[in-house]
Formats: sequence, C-alpha cells, structure tokens
Amino acid sequence: MSQAMWRLARRNYTKFNPDLLKPTRNLQFDNSDVRLSTSASPDEISHFKDLAPSWWDVWGPQRILHKMNLARMDFIQKILSEQLRASSETYVPGFNFKAFLPPQISGLVEQELRQDIRAQLFQQNLKVLDIGCGGGILAESLARLPFVSKVDGIDLTAECIEIAKSHAQKDPALSGKLNYEVLPLEEVVGTYNLVTCMEMLEHVDQPSEILRHAWGKLGKGGILILSTINRDPISWFTTIFMAEQVLKLVPRGTHNVSKYINSEDIKQWFEVECRGQHHILDTKGAMYLPLTGWVAHEHHNIGNYFMAIKKI
Amino acid sequence: MRGIRAWSQSWTLTRRLATSATPKKSDIFIVGGGPAGLTLAAAIKTSPYLSSLSTTLVDAGDLKGRTAQFYNEPPEKFTNRVISLTSQSKKFLQERVGVSLMEDRMQAFDGLYVSDGCSDAQLEMERDSMGYMVEILNLQSSVLKRLSDLQAPNLELIDQTKVLEIKSKDPTDPQSWLTVSLSNGEVYETRLLVGCDGFNSPVRKFSKIESRGWFYNRFGVVATMKLDFPPFKVRGWQRFLPTGPIAHLPLPNDNATLVWSTTEPLSRLLLALDPEQFVLLVNAAFVLDDVDMQYYYKQLERGTITTAELKEDITHRTELRYGKLENDSMIDEIYPPIVSEIDGKSRARFPLKLSHADSYVADRIALVGDAAHTTHPLAGQGLNMGQGDVESLVKVLENASQRGLDLGSLLALEPYWADRYPYNNMLLGVVDKLHKIYSTDFAPIVAARSLGLKAIQGLGPIKDFMMARVSGPGR
Repeated sequence: MSQAMWRLARRNYTKFNPDLLKPTRNLQFDNSDVRLSTSASPDEISHFKDLAPSWWDVWGPQRILHKMNLARMDFIQKILSEQLRASSETYVPGFNFKAFLPPQISGLVEQELRQDIRAQLFQQNLKVLDIGCGGGILAESLARLPFVSKVDGIDLTAECIEIAKSHAQKDPALSGKLNYEVLPLEEVVGTYNLVTCMEMLEHVDQPSEILRHAWGKLGKGGILILSTINRDPISWFTTIFMAEQVLKLVPRGTHNVSKYINSEDIKQWFEVECRGQHHILDTKGAMYLPLTGWVAHEHHNIGNYFMAIKKI
Repeated sequence: MRGIRAWSQSWTLTRRLATSATPKKSDIFIVGGGPAGLTLAAAIKTSPYLSSLSTTLVDAGDLKGRTAQFYNEPPEKFTNRVISLTSQSKKFLQERVGVSLMEDRMQAFDGLYVSDGCSDAQLEMERDSMGYMVEILNLQSSVLKRLSDLQAPNLELIDQTKVLEIKSKDPTDPQSWLTVSLSNGEVYETRLLVGCDGFNSPVRKFSKIESRGWFYNRFGVVATMKLDFPPFKVRGWQRFLPTGPIAHLPLPNDNATLVWSTTEPLSRLLLALDPEQFVLLVNAAFVLDDVDMQYYYKQLERGTITTAELKEDITHRTELRYGKLENDSMIDEIYPPIVSEIDGKSRARFPLKLSHADSYVADRIALVGDAAHTTHPLAGQGLNMGQGDVESLVKVLENASQRGLDLGSLLALEPYWADRYPYNNMLLGVVDKLHKIYSTDFAPIVAARSLGLKAIQGLGPIKDFMMARVSGPGR
C-alpha cells in the first residue's frame, strides 16, 4: 500500500514537465513591455529585491547560499584542474601508485603532480560569465581566483546588482576584474571560457532558453557549470519543507517545486540540442549537513546537484 | 596645565594625520613578532596559495637587530626562556615552513619522570625524542633567518614599532577593512588583522572578543642551570610540590633549565636568594619532603640560616633519603642530575594564569597563540598550542583562497576557530585540573591522585595515549 503511494507521489513529482525544457514558440512580444525569452517572472524579481539588503550578511537569510558557494567553488576548482594533464617533466607512474608505492613516495608523486597542475592552472586567463549573479557571491569568489582575468555578472533584479556593485568596491583586489550589469542573457556579447548558471534555472520560466543562450556564449573548449535542483519529493522535503518551513534556513517563497529540473532532463536536452558538441564532465549531488555544511556526493538524481558540460 | 596637555595632544594628532596621508594596503597584517607571529609570516610566505599576498608584521622589540643576531652570533650561555617543542610542532616548522633550527642549541629528551611531592607515586614516560627543549630566541631567530632567506617581495617586517590605534575604515560597516596606525607614522589598511600579540592582546581588545580565565596566584621562576655532569638519561623531571610543580629540563651537555611554579612570596624569595642557596633548594626540592622545604623557606626568609648550615642540613637529609633506596644506582633513576651552579642573572619570574577567548575570529580578525589562550606551563603546551593555531590558520586560509573567499571574512575564518577551540579547550582544562589536584596536601586527595598516577603508570595504552597528546602521534 505504502509502496503504491510512494510510486504515485514519485510519478507526480518526477514526471517530465515538457513545458520546462521546450523551446519557446508562441511567445507574444508586446512592444511596450518587452519580455525576452530568458527573463524571470516579476514575482521572482521582486522576491530577490526583498533579499538584496541582507545578501552579504553571512549570518543572515543567505547564510546557506554562502555555505553552498564553498561547495560550488570546490566543484569548479576540481573540474578545471581535471582538464589539465601533467606536463612531460612530471613523472607519473603508469600504474596505481597510491596502492603500490610506500606512502612517503606516493605522497611526493601526488605533491609534484598537484604542483604541476596548479602551475598550469595559474597560467590561464579565464573569462567568466555568471548568469543570475544576484548579490555577487559566486562572481566575487571567481574574480579572486588568480587564473580568472575577468568576470561579468548579470542579473535581472536591479537591487541585487546595486548590492553586488557596492560590495565589490570594498575589496581592491576585485577592481578591474569584475563587472556587473542588469542585462538579459540574450544581450550579452562576446564569448567566455566559463559560464556559470548557479541556483538560477529553478527561478526562470524558460530554462531551455537560458541553456541555449548560455551555451552560445561559450567558446570552443569552454565549460558550462550548472547548479540546480531535481524535481522529486526529496527535493521538496529538503529545500521547501525543511529549509523554508521548518528550519527557516531559506527565505519562504524562494523555491517552487514545479520549476525544478531533473539532471537527466538536462542531459537529455543536451543530447537532443547539442548532439556531438558537448561532453558532460561530471555531475555531483550536493546536500547540506547542518554541522558540516554542503557536501558533494555521487547521487545526482536526488536533491541539489552540480553539473559541468564542456563544449567540444 | 590642562590646556597645555590638550594642546599638545591636538598637535600630535595633526602631525600624525599629516604624515599618514596615504595608507598602505596589506592583505594580512600580523601584530606581534613572537614565535606565533613569526611562524605565521613564514608559513604564509612558504605557502603556494598564500605567498603572493602582501603581508606585514609589526613588533615592538628589536627583531632585526638583537633577535636576528642570535642566529649568527649565539651567546655561549643558554638564555632563560626555554620551551618544549613537540615533535609535531618541530615537524611543522622544519618540513612545512622550512625553518632550520640551531640544532646544537636544542636538546631532544627521551622521556619524562613525574613524581608527587607528597607521596611516592611516580609516572615514567619513555619515548625517543619525545620533545625538544628549545630557547625561544633560537626559534625566533631561526624563523627570522628563514624569512630573510626567502626574500619574499611583498613581506614587510617592521620592528621597534608599536600599534597606536586600530579602527574600522568605515565605522558603520563591521565588514570594512581595518586601519592600523603605527608609532612610526605609517598607516596600514588590511583585509585581515592577526593578533599574535600575547595575553594583553590589543587586537583582541579591539575585536571585543571576551577572554575568560583566572590567575593561579602562582609564579613561574625560570633559571639556567649547570649540572655536575651530563645526564645519564636525557629526560625531563617534574615534581608536584603542594606549592606548584618544579621542572628540571635538559639542555645540551651539562646544561639544564628550570621552571619552578610557586606561590608569590616564595617566588620573590627564590629570586632574592644567593645563587648558591638557590641551587641547594632546587636539588632539595626533588628529593626532600614538603615539610623540610617549608622549614628551609621559613629559615631563609627570616635569615636565620647560613648557606653552610643549609648545605649541611640538606646534604644530611638527602643522604638519609638515599640510604632508604635499594641500591645506589636507583639515585640516577628517580632523582634528576645534581645542579652545581646557576646563572644568577638568568633568574626571572612571571605570573601564571589561564585564559581562553570566547572566539578566535571576528570580522577581519583572527587571534593566534597567547592572544587566544594562556595556560599553566606544567605540561609545556603553551607554545605548541600557538604553533598548532598557526598550522590550522594557514590551512584554513589556503582553503579559503582556493575558494576565492575574502580572507578576512567570517566565512573564511570560522573553520579555524572550529578546528582549534575544542582541542585547546580540552588541553587548558586538563592542565587546569592537574594544577588543582596537585596544589593540595590534603591526605585523601593525595591518596586519590597517587592511586591515579600509579594506575596510569601501570596501564600502557593510557600512558601511550597521554604521550601522544603531549608529543604528537607515535612513529
């Protein structure tokens, strides 16, 4: 009995919602109020407007997002490091050296490998586009990385952009590296090495349009990093019931389960729309443990997840 | 008179404002060039993730002159401020920070012999290179040497300079950078202010972080000692007298150092005594009963005993004690080597206290070492806790910089406090309880603690666990 109910609930929640990833066709463009296909609804914009003033209070309503940013940065670091291979000068044994060599030696090998990768990474000059940057939590972190030369952050809530701009001014290390603008994605010009779209797809009406335009902003070899939430009862339980209603970690009304997108749907969308031009580098689930913070795990079909897709 | 004072104040203020037109920017600003501050600077400059950060260290002492000189022209005699460095701290300093300590001026010891001054209970801990006795100046000057060898481009070492004022750049915004004014007229703006400025930390006072604790009403008396002959077994000796523990710790060859924790009046007496009388008392304190010691203190205070009489009485009573042993070879087993003389000028005393800050971090502030916690020296952990703080803080900063965080933000700094507070709190608590248990001669407590000590002596695994806590994990 309970199993049948569970199946029913799961089917209701995880049923593919065709509207979400469908390309928009019948949009009515009204001349007076141009609503672009990648825009968010006015409700969403006003919700984030209310949050803007407390955005940078790490003990305020956005604390959990600040904590999540740590896990997102770890994921991005990992993905970028994995794209690099050891140079010919660095000797890496062609066997599982961690298992066969004594710990002192395998430790040294690993250390040398890490140094090599770090040196290569630090030589890069990445241009980054942060879509839906909000108050700039991710954008600032990215701009502080020594191998990122420029970060453009865009968002549709003007109040958030104001907050982001004034906060960035407090840190001289960011000057000249970080630009914010209230701009729809379509109107962004230029190509980027890294496009990030974090905790954002679940707040827009046309996620497929966002994906399409974000993909278009990537140069060849560029990487798109997504972070959003699976549409399943567990996500409802964690992100809405627990986080918003019981523990009040997240401001009420932040999430709406019908806008959540399964990681498989995104993979499917890329299979259909970008066949042969993309490579999914990694997908990791993420969950919040109250005493530890956000941790990444392998079950990317449940709850929050991060995904990295490379343009080839 | 008041008018003149007000005028001269406003004059110095305008002068300071005039010279401080352009504040310099520094990512990390360290206040205090003690072992913790210097090690932190060197650890930042040797970190692949942090070395590019501009770092400034300010200290009131003569770091570049007198302290640095110690490395190049070490004095013949040992200095009196000696600490025990655990193998863990030593490993961090040598392998991670790349410091080469002056090995010929430090002494590894292979164990500790702890005894109770009110009973015959004793605890013998044996382990090769359990810890190292190192002069603080050795440590400081070795780290300074490392810093000057590094020739780090964006490291500034400012000595003989005091911090006059700390304030927020924007008083309405607690997350704004901090402005630090120095006595040499310079003004710095910093992302992260690290207080390595000791017990009376001005940085902690600015941060409004509460520090709690108490004075033990005891003083530590230190002295550099010469032994009759180099010890047969190189180990530390500690005896818990009801007035406080006395520790006799080895230095190279026939040298040793003393830390004698005792009451305030006795500490004054010990400093005022003739060096010869002092030597007699040190030797007696490890062998004789507390009653005898109290008798000598009283006689010496009143001046009713001559040095010759004191010597005769102590020798006689010591001989009686030796006579009770099974055989003469036991003397070397349970009593420390005989002190032949002390360097009278090396005697000094300092008050003992416990303090622990409620937090080690605030917006743009981190506290390290004695600024965050002070402890009774009976376990030799004070400096090592500071080194552990440095190791942890640097790891936390490395991690935060990889994540692109603002290094002065609470989000970046919180893991440091979360990592260190529980460990330091445990250690402070254990040391505090040891002090309390051993500062009485009340018979039931003496019986209980002696039973406890004997039990630990008999239980290998517990002893190993304790040794691992004191000297780092075994090899």
